[in-house]
Amino acid sequence: MSTLDWAVLVVTLIVIVVYGIYKSRGEQNIHGYLLGNQSLPWYHVCLSVMATQASAITFLSAPGLAYSSGMSFVQFYFGVPLAMIVLCITFVPIFHRLKVYTAYEYLEQRFDLKTRALTAFLFLVQRGLSTGITIYAPSIILSTILDINTTYTTLFIGGLVVFYTVYGGTKAVSYTQMLQMSIIFCGLFAAGVMVVHLLPSDIGFVKAISIAGKMGRTNAIDLTFDLDNRYTLWTGLLGGFFLQLSYFGTDQSQVGRYLSGSSVGQSRLGLLMNGLVKIPMQFLILLIGVLVFTFYQYNKPPVFFNSFELNKLEKSAFKPQLDKLKIEYDRVHEEKELAVGKMNGALEKGDNVLINRERIILREADQHEKAVRKQVTDLMLKNDAHANTDDNNYVFLSFVTQYLPKGLIGLLIAIIFLASMGSTASALNSLASTTVVDIYKRLVKKDGSDREYLQASRLATVFWGVICIIMALYASKIGNLLEAVNILGSYIYGTILGVFLVAFYIRQVNGMAVFVGAICTQLVVVLLGWNEVVAYLWLNVIGCGLVILFSLIVQRLLLGRPDILKQ
Amino acid sequence: MSTELKERHSYEQELPPFVRTWRQFYRLLIAWLVLLILLFYAFTVYFK
Repeated sequence: MSTLDWAVLVVTLIVIVVYGIYKSRGEQNIHGYLLGNQSLPWYHVCLSVMATQASAITFLSAPGLAYSSGMSFVQFYFGVPLAMIVLCITFVPIFHRLKVYTAYEYLEQRFDLKTRALTAFLFLVQRGLSTGITIYAPSIILSTILDINTTYTTLFIGGLVVFYTVYGGTKAVSYTQMLQMSIIFCGLFAAGVMVVHLLPSDIGFVKAISIAGKMGRTNAIDLTFDLDNRYTLWTGLLGGFFLQLSYFGTDQSQVGRYLSGSSVGQSRLGLLMNGLVKIPMQFLILLIGVLVFTFYQYNKPPVFFNSFELNKLEKSAFKPQLDKLKIEYDRVHEEKELAVGKMNGALEKGDNVLINRERIILREADQHEKAVRKQVTDLMLKNDAHANTDDNNYVFLSFVTQYLPKGLIGLLIAIIFLASMGSTASALNSLASTTVVDIYKRLVKKDGSDREYLQASRLATVFWGVICIIMALYASKIGNLLEAVNILGSYIYGTILGVFLVAFYIRQVNGMAVFVGAICTQLVVVLLGWNEVVAYLWLNVIGCGLVILFSLIVQRLLLGRPDILKQ
Repeated sequence: MSTELKERHSYEQELPPFVRTWRQFYRLLIAWLVLLILLFYAFTVYFK
């Protein structure tokens, strides 16, 4: 990175952190620290909700996914608008009316303490693990730039985020997220414009997408009904709906964001606007990945995008084999470039027979290139069994650092930092609020003062920060980060959502029945997920459905045992 | 005016100018989702 890039990066980060600290200045109480005194307008809620969901992983993994397998991932977000509607009708008014700090507080009012504690525990496990992955993602950036191991960069970034979050509190988190999202939108727009600008002069925006489309990268909609296929219209609408409803309705990192709205109307408006904007935003991020893919048809991409792992292999005893593979890779790319040129000509002529012929040649060349890359990763594993052989998360990053102009590189790196800070801050804040409100205040110290709970919240933030950093250190062994977070969520979200749906809609089910139902469901879901019986998005639907089913069965079986129901 | 009606009246006042009720906003969001799916489908077919 140039001096200008470092200056842009450092100034952007300093401005954001100082702004956050400035906004959270003054005497704070627990209500202000955890809910921002419920004073925020709808646009704060909307941007805060978006910033919490759009972590650094979104900007690293999504373009990488589009590069390697196309745009089908956009379908994952089709459940968002539907989930927003259900939230606005049911969850938001109830949470606001009951003046709860956390979503799980409601469950004690509806069921009992053990159900509240169980869901809070499941949330803490899920969010604690996935926040580790969220911290790890931006550490990849420094790792690539400075060419050092991700362990050191994870420790540095994790420490920075924890420091900022402990001093932040909810209000500061929301204010900084608003600024962060504005910078993110500007930076992504600039990146999109630049990638089109860097294409050969005869390749415009539409033709760039056409070429990527001929190589299977514009598959935004998949209508097949295949339970093993992760991203289809049906998994997106049904599985995605349940996942998003669980995430936004029962994950405290999101509930905490819209509970900070100044009224039911402002919270609703923020969520509905998120429903309007989310899918187009995700589509555009994936489209940038598709454009980067076309760019690399004219400019030879590295044989492996993670330069740290590649350098390690180059310094090993496997260098001669690697050099041979590199020569083959160069040859394959030349063939591919030739075929892309011919495809371009065929597209200009509009000759469908020629287009189809070139498409087959291109796809074969694409497969050949993937086969060479596979041989390189096999070598990496021979050299180091723990090597990270998934370079999806490095595709966009590699493009940014090598081809974008000075200044813009710094801005885009800053965006990834900001996104990470925003989502991690929300997550740590929610982990702290659940730990203090649902566990500490309810089970450990019931009669503490406001000052004691505020202190406990800050300590809890530090505690979870340390746990998440430790988790982040293990994240390098997981493949695609974005998918890893979503898979982890699918194991737990369905169960939690099922408990909430029973609470809202099935009045005859009691606390003991839903508790037993939730435990049984969690065991079944883990077994199904572990054995990969269905694509992970379906686990949300199955989990939710099973909690309702098991709760009703247990309730019916225990109907003659009112003594058990009262326990 | 009952408390519930007052609350409802207060929520309605917070709506954006292009809709009159929350129900209209929900319908608009569903229509938006359908439109996006159709556009993405056209995108997929056109560039395949």
